[in-house]
Amino acid sequence: MTLCGQVGLSLGTFKLDINWNVSPNSVLVLFGPSGSGKTMTLRSIAGLVRPQTGHVEVNGHVVCDTATGVWVPPHQRNLGYLPQEYHLFPHLDVEANVGYGLRGTPATARRTRVAELLRTFQIEGLGKRSVRDLSGGQQQRVALARALASDPQALLLDEPFSSLDAELRRELRRELRAFLRAAHIPVVLVTHDREDALALGDVVQVIDRGRSLAQGDPLQVLGQPGQGRVARLVGVENLLPLRVERCYSADGTMVCVGRGPQPGLRLEVPLADCREGELVTVGLRASDIILAEEEPRHSSARNRLPGVVTRVETRPPGHEVFLDCGGATLCCRITGSSLTEMGIRPGQPLWAVFKASSCFLVQD
Amino acid sequence: MANPLALTGTVAAVLYLGFIGLPLVALVARAVGADGFLDGVTSEMAAQALRLSAMTSAISLVVIILVGTPFAYVLARRRSRAYQVLDSLVELPIVLPPVVIGVALLMAFGRRGVLGPGLALAGISIPFTTTAVVLAQVIIAGPFYIRAAKLGFQAVQPDLEDVSQTLGVSPWGTFWRVTVPMAWPALVGGAGLALARALSEFGATIMFAGNFPGRTQTMPLAIMSAMEVNLASALALSILLLVISMVILGALAIVARVQGDKR
Repeated sequence: MTLCGQVGLSLGTFKLDINWNVSPNSVLVLFGPSGSGKTMTLRSIAGLVRPQTGHVEVNGHVVCDTATGVWVPPHQRNLGYLPQEYHLFPHLDVEANVGYGLRGTPATARRTRVAELLRTFQIEGLGKRSVRDLSGGQQQRVALARALASDPQALLLDEPFSSLDAELRRELRRELRAFLRAAHIPVVLVTHDREDALALGDVVQVIDRGRSLAQGDPLQVLGQPGQGRVARLVGVENLLPLRVERCYSADGTMVCVGRGPQPGLRLEVPLADCREGELVTVGLRASDIILAEEEPRHSSARNRLPGVVTRVETRPPGHEVFLDCGGATLCCRITGSSLTEMGIRPGQPLWAVFKASSCFLVQD
Repeated sequence: MANPLALTGTVAAVLYLGFIGLPLVALVARAVGADGFLDGVTSEMAAQALRLSAMTSAISLVVIILVGTPFAYVLARRRSRAYQVLDSLVELPIVLPPVVIGVALLMAFGRRGVLGPGLALAGISIPFTTTAVVLAQVIIAGPFYIRAAKLGFQAVQPDLEDVSQTLGVSPWGTFWRVTVPMAWPALVGGAGLALARALSEFGATIMFAGNFPGRTQTMPLAIMSAMEVNLASALALSILLLVISMVILGALAIVARVQGDKR
């Protein structure tokens, strides 16, 4: 089963133009900030939004084509859809919610199917419970069971963790991953959370202002994004404006320095197709930097920069330490225990240490 | 009772309840003691008026629900300017004096009204008929139902209807299986209010339908007619209407309670 298509829509100044292609049994993550158009794309696939131009195909079957006027309404598309906050029917109990879409099937078959789903999602004991009395995790399971009850052709999830706290999110990500794998259907998942995208996606598509910016393997696209806009969207903490000073083709590295009259920063980064003197932007994730009290001389790390702590911010789980390295600020991510053990405070001199391969070039 | 606001509130409540309660108690006391009370209750006039009131307000309620429900749903869902204007127009009959509405109905459907000549050609004459009673009740009581139903529908999140459709249920099916059950208390409350208002309709009815026993003389009109002849039968009719109103009020309270338990 596959899911592919394209939608175009303009609302005032906002223009949406997105295409997608999800292979069978894989999870496509639409990643982007709020207002980027990712939810509207999902709703267009479900048929809840009618695009001005577009073509939507579910398993080879055209459900929307504006050129030929094909339009299959949402209730005839057989797609599982989980909106934000799940929207369980508050006037029905858990069983009735799960069996809601099975109205056409005979009563006994419906009961069997509902019981089977409750077992799969480990909510057997909750059948007669009011959905108001469920925890966030239980609500998610009921919503999934409800969406999968009539064996949909694909599953569409909108911010599946938005109403849960950080700890529960981490726990449920693994669980959801297993459920999605077991469903054996194409899945489109919308999120603005990088961790969600990394944990759940087989492919990630970055969306901003109604357009696709990048697409590919989640680790690559979100870890070392090659484009400036993508890097900013996925929250690459350090984007350093530098100038290429020297290329070392034997080592496969090049040395880049600050653009000002005084060099300031001096980094060794992976060799790229650059001329000496060319201006580049180098990205570096805060979590790839190690902080040390003394210069770690006998280390393979190519970059060892002295600096002074300017401020410390708490960003659960962990802390961000800002280091002034010769005029440029580096953001470094460390755990709470490191912070207390090293007694890090503003004004303290520290060394920032990282591998050349942690640095990546970003195109603006 | 240290809080002066609470004290003031309590005093106000006692005064207000006394003010409403005294006339009602006086009415009941006078009625029960009056000669010919039982004759009044069982009189042909009372039976006729009661029958006509029950029939016309039942028909009015059916018309209001059939037309008002889809209308209220659209009002609840549409956000455009035009619908906002429509929204306030719907409530106009609530603030207009019923007599004015009666006159307006005559100007529309009367013999010399806008539609009068056309209707006359078709052999139809509406004023001073039972149909006129129903029309007056619909226009006066309708807004009470539509307003309640609109608020009830607004409380149903559109996302729930979206989910229902993605689960294979048509828009109509969704309306019956999600929207109506969730808005049910508001719909029942609004219907009860509209029914009570239709039963007590007087001003527009007497203007547009007149006061003909057996044809347009509903309970409130019968009370007025009786008052001119014989106080005891007016009292008897008043008591009947009071009992009916209290039954409707009680039914509304029970519906509200049942809903409260479900939450």
